[in-house]
Amino acid sequence: MRLVGYAGDAAADGMWHAAFVRSPHAHARVLSVDASALPAGAVALLPEDTVGLGRYGCQLKDQDVLANPARFVGDIVAAVAAQTPAAARAAAAALRVSYAELPAVFDPLAAVAEGAPLLHPESGGSAGDAVSIGVRPLAGTNVCHRFRLLHGEAERGFEDADVTVEETFRTAGAQHAPMEPHATLAQWTADGRLELTTGTQTPFNLRDDLAGVFRIEPERVRVVAPPMGGSFGAKTFTRLEAVVACLARKAGRPVKAVLDRSEEFVTLGRHPAAVRVRVGATRDGTLVAKQLDCWADTGAYADCGPGVASKMGYAGIGPYRIPHVRVDALAVYTNLPPNGAFRGYGATQSVWASERAMDMLAERLGMSPLELRLRNLLRDGDRFATGETMHDVHFEECLRAAAAAVGYEQDPRGKGLCVLLKGMQTPSRAAIAVERTPVGYTIRSASCEMGQGVRDSLRLQGAALLGCEPGQIEVPDPDTDSSPFDTRTTSSRSTYMMGRALDEAVADLSANGGERGYGEIANEGGLDPDTGQGIASTHWHQGAAGAAVSVDEETGALTVERLHAAVYAGRVVDRAGAELQNEGSMIMGLGTALFESVEHAGGQITNANLSDYCLPALGDLPGELTHELIEREGAEPHGLGETALPPVPAAIGNALSSLGLHVTELPMTPERVAEAAA
Amino acid sequence: MMLELTVNERPAALECEPDEMILHVLRRAGLSSVRETCGIGVCGACTVLLDGEPVSGCLLLAGQAAGRELTTVEGLPAEHPVPMAFDAEHAFQCGWCTPGMVLTAKRLLEENADPSDEEIAAGLGGNLCRCGCYLKIRAAVRRAAA
Repeated sequence: MRLVGYAGDAAADGMWHAAFVRSPHAHARVLSVDASALPAGAVALLPEDTVGLGRYGCQLKDQDVLANPARFVGDIVAAVAAQTPAAARAAAAALRVSYAELPAVFDPLAAVAEGAPLLHPESGGSAGDAVSIGVRPLAGTNVCHRFRLLHGEAERGFEDADVTVEETFRTAGAQHAPMEPHATLAQWTADGRLELTTGTQTPFNLRDDLAGVFRIEPERVRVVAPPMGGSFGAKTFTRLEAVVACLARKAGRPVKAVLDRSEEFVTLGRHPAAVRVRVGATRDGTLVAKQLDCWADTGAYADCGPGVASKMGYAGIGPYRIPHVRVDALAVYTNLPPNGAFRGYGATQSVWASERAMDMLAERLGMSPLELRLRNLLRDGDRFATGETMHDVHFEECLRAAAAAVGYEQDPRGKGLCVLLKGMQTPSRAAIAVERTPVGYTIRSASCEMGQGVRDSLRLQGAALLGCEPGQIEVPDPDTDSSPFDTRTTSSRSTYMMGRALDEAVADLSANGGERGYGEIANEGGLDPDTGQGIASTHWHQGAAGAAVSVDEETGALTVERLHAAVYAGRVVDRAGAELQNEGSMIMGLGTALFESVEHAGGQITNANLSDYCLPALGDLPGELTHELIEREGAEPHGLGETALPPVPAAIGNALSSLGLHVTELPMTPERVAEAAA
Repeated sequence: MMLELTVNERPAALECEPDEMILHVLRRAGLSSVRETCGIGVCGACTVLLDGEPVSGCLLLAGQAAGRELTTVEGLPAEHPVPMAFDAEHAFQCGWCTPGMVLTAKRLLEENADPSDEEIAAGLGGNLCRCGCYLKIRAAVRRAAA
């Protein structure tokens, strides 16, 4: 069996191992770190070692290499390196930290209330060109970003409505739980270059962020990104890299860190959110106005919470024509571990709310939820609430396919539907290089492999364009020293964006003697954060799900009998890979729908292990789990990495609601279902 | 202490600490298919076969393997039907959980040559795949059984 080499398998001569000293308090100033008991042969990174270093963060520079104050239970306040992992853990336990506790806040709504303790009294600096969203912190509050979208006049629109429904929905925090934990190896060369081998989806963002920390040119930082054992957003932007690099500099030797599972839970998660939806329609089921208020709990640091809140805001409008829309979405600091990119990126939370509200509205109108959706779906040439014109639109096909698969029109009882739109990173750039080799070609790009199959996708696309076998194409690991620039491997963009760049590169190679080619693609756009107008996405992910459930009303036990997703794929590049994306997204969506929830008490996570935090296993699959890729002759490939996740919870929730069980909070545990039945 | 055992059909003597789990000892010996993941024996990613039975490498004290026969996927023949079936069915994405899945499936098929879907789900119930390749994993086990 051929084995993959992951970041945790990397080693270097003379390498030591890292361990971290983490705050036991949710919010506390570090008064001192006493290293007098540090065992011989260990090196400690202490607060005084980080004086003068820059801050980091992908959208707001609000993180220090060592935290002070510590802003969540698990925040890293010191670090040690020693010859073995066990020696490093023992050395970390020998450091004595004294703290002065500060008041803490654990709920995004409480965090925006008057008088809430402030996590970052001074807003972090904007993070330059790593971001493109125009971050809007509200000074003197815990709001690190406010996204608004104004289309028409929502208040006047509601006056036209015959029926209006309003409800607040909530989603729990979740763990990405990639099987491979975060792993980073850092070393400094004799001439002062920083070199990292790390599991990351964002090598260039990371390089630039670290250059800012150490105040060196980005070219003095090299990031090599081996394949990851799963990521789902967990390994984006700067995670352990800044502190491990700093520790390696202090130790004067290579240092590697590999997290254990409990540390994973305090490294990054998915934003818990509250989404209030108000939606109105005329008697015939025509949507006239919608208002969304979102609170995304980004935890102690912004990370990409501003981007998540923005996407939560516009994805919650849904794929509908609505003349009057108002969205107000906040990314809010709390004293919990940071939340960031997670497969579904904001859409999961707001699609749950928005699509559950559609079924409430249908019920009030006395109309089929399917018919209500079909009546209002966006079609080719329609304008979305951002003002952009929609092209290559297939929402209706997706929705009809999902409905047909569960026999919705024959009998909607115990069945539910959901349809969604999800954007792709806009603006962004992708570049790629092709070189002839004795056996075929090498394709160099910074598209990172995390199991989604981007290397196979590039090999297959390359082979078709270059007239060779996929096996003749080598795709080396992304390396910021030798791979052309790419914005990042996120938002299901690589097959589409890198594929287009590859077209250009192969054309360049053909025009220039067949030895070397270079291609670059940019998609332009972006939304004004104050009005939500502009281009949210140059390429829309479109999908739908249908579910059939049964319920034991006495115990609240919910059984998903049938689950189907239909996703617009355009042109499929790698069929097995495409199927795996749909299947994996649906199964992750099942976990979100039914049982995944990061629990905490007093800021301390209480289920930080894979026994108490359950992941879907083979036995958790529905009786029938099926899906389809909707293809169109001559279409461009459409990203598929996430689309089938966000519709799953709402399809199941709407199936429950067809039985009169109205659940507003994820996950739909037996306790919540039983409460709805009571 | 020195641990003497058979690893992948060859006698081995491996240096280890008395309180160390076999997972770390095997990794130091270069067997990188054995992967620490949950650390508490619930995910199956560090599964090894001890005298042919699947065990979690993160829960097995190194000393408990003394004198016994231990198998990792590095020890399976290149043409073994179970990994071949995983490959043919595209039953993996990131590949992290695959060694544990393959070893558990191998033992399952030794005990039950023609498992039903329910028996496959029960047999692989202790092996998690966060990429969610379960449909294709189930298909791979069926293919290997055929």
